[in-house]
Formats: sequence, C-alpha cells, structure tokens
Amino acid sequence: MKLPLSGLCPILLSTVMCVTFFGCNVARITLNTPLTQDDVAFIVPGQTTLADVITKLGSPDSITDSHRGIVTTYRFHDMTYSRVNFGWLLRPWSPVDPDLIISRTGFGADAFELLYDSDWVVTHQSFLRHLSGSRFNPYPF
Amino acid sequence: MLFVKQLASIIIVLALILLQGCAFNRGTLGDDIRPEAVAAIKKTATTKAEVLSLLGAPDRLLQVNGRDVFQYYRYDAKAGSLLLIIINFSRLSIKSDDLFVILNHEGIVEDVISSKRTDGLEFRFWPFGE
Repeated sequence: MKLPLSGLCPILLSTVMCVTFFGCNVARITLNTPLTQDDVAFIVPGQTTLADVITKLGSPDSITDSHRGIVTTYRFHDMTYSRVNFGWLLRPWSPVDPDLIISRTGFGADAFELLYDSDWVVTHQSFLRHLSGSRFNPYPF
Repeated sequence: MLFVKQLASIIIVLALILLQGCAFNRGTLGDDIRPEAVAAIKKTATTKAEVLSLLGAPDRLLQVNGRDVFQYYRYDAKAGSLLLIIINFSRLSIKSDDLFVILNHEGIVEDVISSKRTDGLEFRFWPFGE
C-alpha cells in the first residue's frame, strides 16, 4: 500500500520533531521578580527616602551598614537549564540504557543596591550586574 | 441521578487524563510572618521585649546606622513540571517575605519595614518568557 505524499509529510514531520526532542529537559529557576531600569526610575539621589523606595519596591532582601552610609540590596536570580539525551534514540534497540547527554546551565545573578545617608535619603543607586538573557541552548561547546 | 453520577465520573476521568504527567512541588523556609503581629508593632511605642514576644527571636540581628535591626524572613518556592516523556518542562519560582524592625538606642521601635512577596507566587510550568 502506498501512502500519498500529503499523508507522509505530517508523519515525517512528527517523527523528526519527536527525534529532535527525545530526552529533552528544559527548566528555569527564578528568585524574586527582576527589577528593570523603568522600575527604579522614580529614585532621585538626594531626594528619595527609604520609605519611598519601600512603598514602590517592597522591603529589601538585606540591609547592611558601611562607612559611607546604609546599603539596601534587592536580589534577583534567573537560572536556565536545558538538556538533551541522545541515548534515548537507542533505547528501543539496546539492552542497556545508553546515555549521550549534552546540557548547559545559565545562571543570571543580579542585584539592585541603594546607598543611604544617616537620614535614610538615597545618595547612590546601581545595579550590581545585569542579567544575561535567558537562553535555552543545550550546546555546551 | 444516574446522569449526575456519569457526569461526575467523566469529569474525574478527564481531570486525571489532563493532570497526568504533571508534578507540583512546594518548599518553604521559615515560619509565616503573621500580619497581625506586624500590625501590633507601633513606631515609637513598642519595645524590644514586646517585639520578641510577638515575633520570637529574629533570623538575623544587624547593626545599622548605630541601631539594632531585627530581620525576619520566610522563603516560599513553588515548582511545576510537565513530564511529557520525550520532553519535560519545569519551572521553579522562589520569593521571600522580609520584615525589618529598626530599634533606637533605648530599645524602642523606630521603624518597621515589611513586604509580602509570596502572596503573588503561583505554580508555573512554562519556562519561557517572563
């Protein structure tokens, strides 16, 4: 019996999709909601107080003392992980479970820090380091 | 009556089919910070001893700007997974509730800083996008 070409295409396409995604894992871990420049645009050094910051951003993750004032820190992390196990392709024909795994993890860590004077007025503000874009790419080389 | 029983059976079977391959996980660190305890703390009135009786010992004790700061925190994590045999999607979201009680030199509450981020925490499965 011959399958018509139009009927064969979806079968081939789904087979290719299944083979491509065999043994795939995609995971993501986020800590707190990332802050953007727009979220902190309201802060004016010399004017904005700790109370103003807390009203807009909530309480910080940490408060520490320094020689030049008080530091509050808002932390947020974004981790992506993707993994493909090509060994899955051989499982139907192999007596053992073979593994050929490639995976990659990207860890984006950032924090927003504010420095206050002794009257709790913001004097400086800065992002620690910007998050790298979330990419799901299992290719490790 | 028979129709209702059949309908209920169909709904249960459909729910089981739809939830097959799903995983829900949750983890917490620390006790819940009770809102009524936080509300009971009054600036310039509540003492250090009263704070301790309301909230217990702090998770961290800090010295900031010449004042004692009690920090209380709680972490909540929710993870959702879609296990579709050939491809699995997982997402873990973590948020924290933080409470800072700033005490002056006399041991009286000067300021209370709190926020409850975990209220908006949801189970999410899709790892892409926001």
